[in-house]
Amino acid sequence: MAKTIIHFSHATFGFPGVIALKDVSLEIAEGEFVGVIGPNGSGKTTLCRAILGLMRPLEGSLQIFDCACEELRCHHRARIGYLPQKGALDRNFPITVLEAVMMGRYGALGLFRRPTKQDREIALEALSNVGMQDHRNAALGLLSGGQQQRVFIARALAQQPQVLLLDEPTTGIDITTQHSVLDLIRRLHRDLGLTVLLITHDINMIRSLVDRLVLLKTRLFAAGPPEEVLRPDLLSQVYGKDLVITEKDLVIVEDYHH
Amino acid sequence: MLEMLSYDFMQRSLVAAALVGAVCSVIGVFVVLRGLAFVGAGTAHAAFAGVTLAYLLGLPPLPLAVIFGLATVWVTGVMEEKGQMKLDVSIGILYTATMALAILFIGLMKGYNAEVYGYLFGSVLSVTPEELRAILALSFLVLGVLLVFSKELYFIAFDQEMAEASGVPARRIFYLLLTLVALTVVVSLKTVGAILVFAMVLIPASTAYQLTHSLFHMTAYAVSIGIVCAVGGVLLSYVWDLPSGPAIVLLATTLFFLSVLVSPKRLRRAPAV
Repeated sequence: MAKTIIHFSHATFGFPGVIALKDVSLEIAEGEFVGVIGPNGSGKTTLCRAILGLMRPLEGSLQIFDCACEELRCHHRARIGYLPQKGALDRNFPITVLEAVMMGRYGALGLFRRPTKQDREIALEALSNVGMQDHRNAALGLLSGGQQQRVFIARALAQQPQVLLLDEPTTGIDITTQHSVLDLIRRLHRDLGLTVLLITHDINMIRSLVDRLVLLKTRLFAAGPPEEVLRPDLLSQVYGKDLVITEKDLVIVEDYHH
Repeated sequence: MLEMLSYDFMQRSLVAAALVGAVCSVIGVFVVLRGLAFVGAGTAHAAFAGVTLAYLLGLPPLPLAVIFGLATVWVTGVMEEKGQMKLDVSIGILYTATMALAILFIGLMKGYNAEVYGYLFGSVLSVTPEELRAILALSFLVLGVLLVFSKELYFIAFDQEMAEASGVPARRIFYLLLTLVALTVVVSLKTVGAILVFAMVLIPASTAYQLTHSLFHMTAYAVSIGIVCAVGGVLLSYVWDLPSGPAIVLLATTLFFLSVLVSPKRLRRAPAV
């Protein structure tokens, strides 16, 4: 059995007066592909920030790489490649594609060490993995949304991570590009043997990709293989709408279906 | 023209101007990219309050300028980090409070003190050998620290939360940046003055921002522009008998508007990075 590398044990996260995620117990094993779904405000991004060591549990515990998240050091964080939610990138920000990807090396390098030729080669290989090697000297701000996502995935890969944490990687890009980004993530998981956590709103797009789905609504509602989690009764409770699963395994809102 | 270079005061002022031009413009790159424009202005006025207190108490001005500058940036940083209020509000309060202190200290002085006004408006032509040594030491300190931590500083300027998540000690680097901003302002106070020092931080970096899509090139352009403006401004002030601070800043401003006109970003064509 694969080794557990992320272990939530009755963990509660939040801010003063606000509980964002309550009493979560969850184990994620090395090499797993886990999808995290739930409505807005269900705690998906909180889960993500907790794994990155940016939030500490108010109660319970979170172990990452056999290390309590309170003790998570910079070199641990560097083992988690993170793709944040796509924010508005200033088109004029002066940074080239290669400069942005090289930043993925900085955490792993640590303070006082300059990037070497080898770091540059790692960054170029990461760009090659996402099919963006020909754009290395291009201005990042002038690329399309899908190309920028590929560059940010390359930055995460340049960390040479064990875990790839992707927060809404297909938001804000067109449907064709969404498919190509998800294909890329599937290939990276398969070829590089990465543990992947993919947070998304789009249930239909990831159901065929993941080994397990985690359903959140400020607590862990269900976790298991997609066919066990994507049950109309569970989804309806979480989303507050009648949801049906069609013959083509698509989850849709029942009102819309009629 | 070459005759002026034989004067000791002119040699000192040109070296001081070149150092200030270099150090202000390189720190300016991070200030502009990280969105800390107003912090520099606030720090300059806080440092000036430190200078006025030093003159009031008969102490050397530099240490108190450093203390006031550092206190201001650190309080501002804590306020931003805790999310207690927006950065522009907290720095706005400190900016005006320290300026009020400066006016109060000047009011408590007996008579007019020309040296104090030299720090307010800048007087690069009157830089003493001791002041030049202090400018030299602080400039090398700031530039050295910037060089050592440049990769982390670039990362937090681009995306601080991402830097933190990637294993960079982003919070500590942010405070380091604020500290360097304060030291840079103090270095430059005598040369361009509290009112104009911030222009030297902001304008060369903003000019370079117009011209490139590369972080590395932006830094190189900013330093070149900063040195050219600072040295060029001193020469203009000598030749045409102008106040040096405004000459430096207005030359930089002219270059900024020229860069906007020729900016590949404004012309909507992909620049050669």
